[in-house]
Amino acid sequence: MEQPNSKPALALRGICKQFGAVVANASIDLEVRAGEVHVVLGENGAGKSTLMNIAFGHMQPDAGQIEIEGRTTRLASPADAIARGIGMVHQHFALVPTFTVAENVVLGSRSARAGLLDRKEIVDEVSEVSARFGVPVDPSAVVRDLPVDERQRVEILKALYRDARILILDEPTALLGARQIAVLLEIIDRLRADGRAIVLVTHKLGEVMEIADRVSVVRRGRKQVELARGEFDQQVLAKAMTGQLIADEISRSLGRDEPEVVLECRGLTVPEPSSGPPVQGLSLRVRSGEVLGIAGVEGNGQRALIDGLTGSARCEGEICLDGEDIANAPPRRLRRCGVSIIPEDRQGRGLVPDMTLAENLALVDLLAAPPGDAPRLVSWRQIRAEARELLEAFDVRPPDPDLPASALSGGNQQKVVLARELSRWPRLVVADNPTWGLDVGAIGYVHRQLVAARNDGAAIVLVSHDLDELMKLSDRIIVVYRGEISLEAPRAEASLDDIGLAMAGAR
Amino acid sequence: MGIRLASGSGPRTLVALAAGLAVMAAVVGALGKNPLRAAGAVVDGSLGNSFGIGQTVQIWTILILAGLASAIPFSARLWNIGGQGQMYSGAIAAAALGITLPAGWPGAAVVPLILAASTAAGAGWGWLPAWIRNRYGASEIVTTLMLNFVAVLGAAYVIRDAWPDRFAQQTEAVADNARLPVLIGSVRADISIVLAVAAALGLWVLMTRTRLGFAVRALGANRGAALLSGASESAVASAAFALGGAAAGLGGGVFVLGIHGALLNGFSAGLAFLGIAVALAAGLNPLRVIPVAGLFAILRVGSNNLQAGADLSPATGDVLIAVFVIMLMVVGVIRFSYGELVDG
Repeated sequence: MEQPNSKPALALRGICKQFGAVVANASIDLEVRAGEVHVVLGENGAGKSTLMNIAFGHMQPDAGQIEIEGRTTRLASPADAIARGIGMVHQHFALVPTFTVAENVVLGSRSARAGLLDRKEIVDEVSEVSARFGVPVDPSAVVRDLPVDERQRVEILKALYRDARILILDEPTALLGARQIAVLLEIIDRLRADGRAIVLVTHKLGEVMEIADRVSVVRRGRKQVELARGEFDQQVLAKAMTGQLIADEISRSLGRDEPEVVLECRGLTVPEPSSGPPVQGLSLRVRSGEVLGIAGVEGNGQRALIDGLTGSARCEGEICLDGEDIANAPPRRLRRCGVSIIPEDRQGRGLVPDMTLAENLALVDLLAAPPGDAPRLVSWRQIRAEARELLEAFDVRPPDPDLPASALSGGNQQKVVLARELSRWPRLVVADNPTWGLDVGAIGYVHRQLVAARNDGAAIVLVSHDLDELMKLSDRIIVVYRGEISLEAPRAEASLDDIGLAMAGAR
Repeated sequence: MGIRLASGSGPRTLVALAAGLAVMAAVVGALGKNPLRAAGAVVDGSLGNSFGIGQTVQIWTILILAGLASAIPFSARLWNIGGQGQMYSGAIAAAALGITLPAGWPGAAVVPLILAASTAAGAGWGWLPAWIRNRYGASEIVTTLMLNFVAVLGAAYVIRDAWPDRFAQQTEAVADNARLPVLIGSVRADISIVLAVAAALGLWVLMTRTRLGFAVRALGANRGAALLSGASESAVASAAFALGGAAAGLGGGVFVLGIHGALLNGFSAGLAFLGIAVALAAGLNPLRVIPVAGLFAILRVGSNNLQAGADLSPATGDVLIAVFVIMLMVVGVIRFSYGELVDG
């Protein structure tokens, strides 16, 4: 299948794209050949998604050209791209939740347009494609009922059903767990063996090491380097991606011997959390200057605990903050007591995407402060000036207070949330998967900021799916299993084995 | 369902207007009439003589207030369909006081007093559905709509039983000392237009420069983040509805003390509902409500002249307003979003 002189399946040449003053792509070249996995590696906001959106006809480049199998082409729309054999799996899926897998796969393609839809026929067709490429799905299942990884496979099948020769996967592992990632990488491997050309966008180094034939590292809109297999290792890639070597150690100051208890829950029960199972009769304590890490397999009551602590669901039992009972207090009162909240869903609950960065940074101050505490008229000039300082201090790029939050990359959005929540001298920080979906550089930044808040005396409750993160940041770790605590230990005494067993419910 | 307004919507609004005019011109042309003559008739009827100007200014005043009644709650994604009821309650208050207050009191005291009462009545009528929503979780769309009927029937009672005039189609006239002072005699424009513009300016300052206005906008733009950041939804809902209702109530007072001098059956002539279109076309911006209301007033008043001036139905003006609002959606100034697709 490999012919050394064959034309690349897809070639992007000198692609430039600018949004206002922000250069998203500065003359980027990228080639991918049949039977090859080309990984585009970069931090959030490096310009990867823009490049891929151009390759799929979502956006038009300001300059540069696109060649498919050696022929220069203009892709005016995704429909053009699909017609020329390009398929793309986006970070956010475009599936109809109430349709079956088979219906979603054929939706909009020619056989469905031909007239009446023969349900059995399309189920058979989709089964056949699914079997041929080893992409396991149940064609009759309704998409709404499927977990994330299967939904993603439906998207992959959609592309294969349309006979995509070139497959673009935009951060496909961002939403997956470790085992699901392994399955996905196997599928990618099979598609490569079948002679498809695959562009894989990611910011995770492990995946690159595992699957890439070729890596292009993008940083701040420019391609830094292109390396073939054998020429790269994790250190080289991390350095190219972030422009620096990542320091793994975080400086911790040693606190006093017995600092005061900031948060104490006694017999906390949250019967109806916004999702997942309840917690029952949970008791815990967090001291000033302490990070309490909460581990557990997803769906064992972490959501209920967070909802209870942030006033987002009714609860029973006691929650005391500096001795004051705050159980069932609305977020408004919690904010006034010095509680900072870093929600998992930054676009849904952390930020107002349509508002400016200045407005987002002032959100809590303006909404929660008691009526007498602020002047009647809001001084936007002062808020913008303060916002500019905060954006610089928290290394948000670009640090423009007038930009809408939606214009930032995920990592930078999270930095805005941190800037707002951690600059308020919190007594208690409730952080729910604060590095979810971020790249290595941003993760390190978030970790340093959380530890800084801890060293300043905040009590921190950290819920995370990422055990490494918990081991790195926590002073104490508890494991929740089915709404109860199955293990509690200082970090130094907790072994990964014990934690793993406790997560599985074995005491 | 959510509503989103595109940023930088000013130029797009003009595009929508141009597109709306083009569509209407095509329709008029297809009917075998001259579009330019029709446009001339509209301008002539609304601005061509002192009578027309006077009417246009009156309608402009009412549409500013009705537009504000929708724009403020809409900004918080609260759907006030009750502008009519709020306007009626303001009008009832104005009629009751205008008829019963001693005729000897000076106008300088009576007029502000009655307008304040109208505003308060509208605010109260607007606050009621917010309270029901906060207390019982009832949809404000349904309650505001239903409260319209209640207010209209309340007005019918006042007209037929409390202070009927001879034919029971309107109340007896309010006392002379309660009539709004005339500002420019030649076009019979009274001080209400000044009040309406001042209300728009005041609400614009409130929305852009106060914490309450910020809370209204934040809740409208992202409820989840606003609540987690400490916004009080019930306080915002009460305030937004009371403010919207206040504007509509003032409009009711203007009808009674200014335009008609009495409370009439069916006095609002659909203008309260047209306020929803004004608010949307203005992008929910209180400042932009002023010119949009002016434009709609010109179309409204001017189209009465279409029959005589261009042999077209007077309803053509309303059709143009409808086409304009649709065009605003087409060019994306107003975007309604429904449930999201499956997403991660």
